[in-house]
Amino acid sequence: MDFTAIKDVLVNEAQAQNIEQYEIYCRRNKDVTVETLKDEISSFASSDISGVCFRCIENKQMGYASGELFDETALRSLVFRAKENARNIECDEEPFIFKGSESYEKSKLTPFISTDAKTLREAALDIQKNMYEQNDKVTDGTQSYAMTYETEIYICNSNGLELTNHVGINGAYASAVVCNGDESAYGLKFKQGVKKEDFSDIAEIAVTEAIEKLGADEVKTGKYNVIFDGKQMQSILSAFSSAFSSKNAQMGLSLLKNKENTKIASDCVSIIDDPFYPECPMQTHFDAEGVATYKKDIIRNGELKTLLYNLSSAKKVGKQTTANANKGSYAGTVSISPYCMTIEPGKYSFEQLMELAGNGILITEVKGLHAGANSVTGDFSIESAGFLIENGKKAKPIKSFTVAGNFYSLLLNIAALSDKIELGIPGGFTVFGSPAVLLRDMSIAGK
Amino acid sequence: MISKKLCEQILLTAMSSGADFAELYAQNTQSNYINFIDGRVDSINDVILSGVGIRIFNGTKTVYASTTDLTEVGLINCAKTVASAFVDIKHTEIQNINLYERVVRNSHFIERNPANAPAKIKTDILKTACFAAKNFNSKISQVNGAFMDSDHKFLVANSDGIYVKDRRILTRISVSAIASNNGENQSGFHAPGKQAGLEMFDIIKPQDVGTHAAAQAITNLNADYCKAGQMPVAIENSFGGVIFHEACGHSLEATSVGIGTSQMAGKLGQKIANEKVTAIDDGTMPGEWGSINIDDEGNAPQKNILIENGVLKSYMVDRLGSRRMSTPMTGNSRRQGYEYEPTSRMTNTYIANGKDKNEDIIASIEYGLYAKELGGGSVNPLTGAFNFSVCEGYMIRNGKICEAVRGASLIGKGSQILQDIDMVGQNLEMGQGMCGSSSGSVPVNVGQPLIRVSKITVGGR
Repeated sequence: MDFTAIKDVLVNEAQAQNIEQYEIYCRRNKDVTVETLKDEISSFASSDISGVCFRCIENKQMGYASGELFDETALRSLVFRAKENARNIECDEEPFIFKGSESYEKSKLTPFISTDAKTLREAALDIQKNMYEQNDKVTDGTQSYAMTYETEIYICNSNGLELTNHVGINGAYASAVVCNGDESAYGLKFKQGVKKEDFSDIAEIAVTEAIEKLGADEVKTGKYNVIFDGKQMQSILSAFSSAFSSKNAQMGLSLLKNKENTKIASDCVSIIDDPFYPECPMQTHFDAEGVATYKKDIIRNGELKTLLYNLSSAKKVGKQTTANANKGSYAGTVSISPYCMTIEPGKYSFEQLMELAGNGILITEVKGLHAGANSVTGDFSIESAGFLIENGKKAKPIKSFTVAGNFYSLLLNIAALSDKIELGIPGGFTVFGSPAVLLRDMSIAGK
Repeated sequence: MISKKLCEQILLTAMSSGADFAELYAQNTQSNYINFIDGRVDSINDVILSGVGIRIFNGTKTVYASTTDLTEVGLINCAKTVASAFVDIKHTEIQNINLYERVVRNSHFIERNPANAPAKIKTDILKTACFAAKNFNSKISQVNGAFMDSDHKFLVANSDGIYVKDRRILTRISVSAIASNNGENQSGFHAPGKQAGLEMFDIIKPQDVGTHAAAQAITNLNADYCKAGQMPVAIENSFGGVIFHEACGHSLEATSVGIGTSQMAGKLGQKIANEKVTAIDDGTMPGEWGSINIDDEGNAPQKNILIENGVLKSYMVDRLGSRRMSTPMTGNSRRQGYEYEPTSRMTNTYIANGKDKNEDIIASIEYGLYAKELGGGSVNPLTGAFNFSVCEGYMIRNGKICEAVRGASLIGKGSQILQDIDMVGQNLEMGQGMCGSSSGSVPVNVGQPLIRVSKITVGGR
């Protein structure tokens, strides 16, 4: 993808059509994934996808058009289409083409190097072999994956701003299936990087998780002390993260409207958004509007310090952007998302948290959050699995129950947090992390 | 689109290292998106996706690569990339591939292509729907709407000689209404779609879409939380069919059956459901949201009887699944686009009408839940454990539908729920959704008449 050539065509066409305010956003994504089945590589997939978005201000509105064709005719049509689209918009937010920040923080990460195909193959086969060797209950359907993904972004605009970013992630993933008679269970483990020394651990964690689920019982309906492990709490945070979007709050799609500088969570809860979180390789020093990104407190000791803003939503309420403008892909309109959004760890070890719970339920799996969690109302009722907690210790596995509550109440009711964050898998530049959290009297529906 | 001659060259290059099959999928899709919120058209965006995916097989091993570089050099390089993934395979050089163009019979007549329509026509339709929602009740605090249309042109060519082009035009409108009272929000949603043009709105009135969403939001605002526990549930028609989609449909896809990770693997001919259950996947239905003229491997769709009177009759099988399972393909290969390797997916999947009267189904429940409308859900095909949310529900007491309840979800195990569907009504209707899986997000219909599940776990407070 020749960014300069694309820019030249689009700039010339914008000038020809008397468009004064515009932005060009280009993105190239490359990935390779290797997948195993039984003892061999079953699938090898790679992609190299480029796209460009042209957006411009016309009639005080921001029009967008995007495409994956880079011949001159196709590129020129983007300008016309974006201008036409703007003419039918009625948005009351002021649109911006950004002039540029004074300075941009540099990532401390070393430049990304993608893992080569041969190493990916060897990794997937090695993890697969390790899983089968872990336990004779490991069975067909067990799969290993090794992948590399990189993205390159280029933004330039009519104010002379020009920015680029190139980041990526390598990773290995184990999906263990175990069988005991008629009963099957699975375990999953993803780890960043493709390092030989990690393969046996990845395999062992996935297989152990699966084996531990065998023999799971049902649980009685009732109120229980509940611990969500870090992975599940991170998923819940992800499902409700749109509540922290200032635009959603302004539109009444979040109950956090007018809640800045008020208490919305338990004193022990602090939530941070950090585009340079050290353990996350998907870092960016500018947002989708070209504003310099920075680390910020969203909640500090239970108080909502700020919602997340882009240029337009900030202007609407006389604030500064928090540089959280985001585009899900090159083709998307600008929305608002966090970068690395983490709940700050607490002071208890996981074992101490279990002791604090006394008797209750440890939830190690939640499913169907896309349907069972409503970010507008905060309500959730989600399929779960996990373990009973008896006298502060992990006891027998349980399955086929739901946990129900409300996210806004949940934040206020977090009783304690463990001292270690579990970080999720990045989706673009957004990733979530959380320690395990203890909640009292949660509604559980089972047998 | 790519010429036959160049396709032949690309396929030959892709097969040069020992593949026994090669396939090319080329796509050009124009999609338009209009969003409405807070009484205004908030954004308009259009996207033209254009790319190619090349896949090769050796037995059941596959290699796939996709690219947006559509120059001849770029395409040949993509073919070389897939070929380079097969190493040390003994083979004889294939000398030539002869492609024959097959003309596809179109079953979906499009009168007014939305892609060519002025934006104002579409914004007017969207505004009508959204203002109908806003004006439904003074407690409707916000309305968020979207109008989406796509004109999807694609080509499939493969080393068996297939060279076939098709076009799918889809139109959908969605309205999400928020009702607020005393600092509390509740929502309602409705999103009909068809494989049709703007003529869709001659049948589906935009104002009805808006009032449907608003009425649901108001019902939920006035409702108390659903009590948790196990109970009989009557699930209404249309999108209620998501129960079969999640609880059973995914487990009948070759994607999981072919590698042994489905609870339904090896059960053909066995009784897996109550004898009242007959379930069908039919990609041929004219104008329906999940219909196709050809699947994404170039094969004709079929009406597949999956379960007949409780007995498992068929799986849904794509080319790779066919090789893994040694069973014929069923016209169910689908993908979101060129970036995705196709796999077996559902099209229009439904439980057929039964013999029970709808009023008898409600009257038969002493204490239970009437799930009038369901939201999305998910399933683990390995265990069959599924979940989905109830968007609009009511308690049933002494055979009568009583007060509305909110915040419910339904969970269970597919193999058990199929046995527990013990009454099947007579008002079959389809609902539209987007189904996500390894080959991306594809439009599907789910459907059923009113059914009774004798016992299911209802998640609530």
